[in-house]
Amino acid sequence: MNPDPIGIPLSEQPALPESALPPEHRQHGTSEAKAWSVALAGWLLPGLGHALQRMWGRALVVFCAVGVLVVVGASMRGNLFTSHGSDAFDALGYVADLGAGSFYFLARAVERTGADVSHAGGDYGTRFLATAGVLNLLAALHAYEAARGRKA
Amino acid sequence: MTSLLPITLTHLQAFLLFAAVISIAFGFLGRRQPRDRIKYILWSFFLFLLVGIGIGWAMYPFSH
Repeated sequence: MNPDPIGIPLSEQPALPESALPPEHRQHGTSEAKAWSVALAGWLLPGLGHALQRMWGRALVVFCAVGVLVVVGASMRGNLFTSHGSDAFDALGYVADLGAGSFYFLARAVERTGADVSHAGGDYGTRFLATAGVLNLLAALHAYEAARGRKA
Repeated sequence: MTSLLPITLTHLQAFLLFAAVISIAFGFLGRRQPRDRIKYILWSFFLFLLVGIGIGWAMYPFSH
């Protein structure tokens, strides 16, 4: 156990009132809420979580990467899963697709002819759409970690 | 809202597009410095190709 500079182990020191804590500790709750807000924003609009932290390059790349995957996937008539799936794989596919946030609903709106997985292209499109969602979830998690001050 | 134009890609084209997009995203998320990012993107892209083509050849005997 690491003693602090005054020589008393941290676990044996009495708890300090909130007002006596350093500012960075007092703002812990606020920064946590901010980090969750950033993650939510990043999920809703790909790249927004990074843009809010002025990580412009990452924001642009995430936006474009998720956008390209969704547009190509929908253009190849990939399957966009809904919440009315019949089995566990449909549910997993829905979670993955929903990871793209607003782009999921955009893809639902533009894919008016419906999915066609009777040919290989449709199957590839399904994978593109699922990958877009999972990639966006990863980016939102990255933005969350960056907002918490972790090395990112 | 209009519907998207249909796109038809071969397996190889879809594979290359997928590998390129994901490699670029990984490079930007995983590294900070431009030089490190480029190295990471190229390395990740190469590994995507290696694993993808490797799995393709591994499945080849089962297609006959």
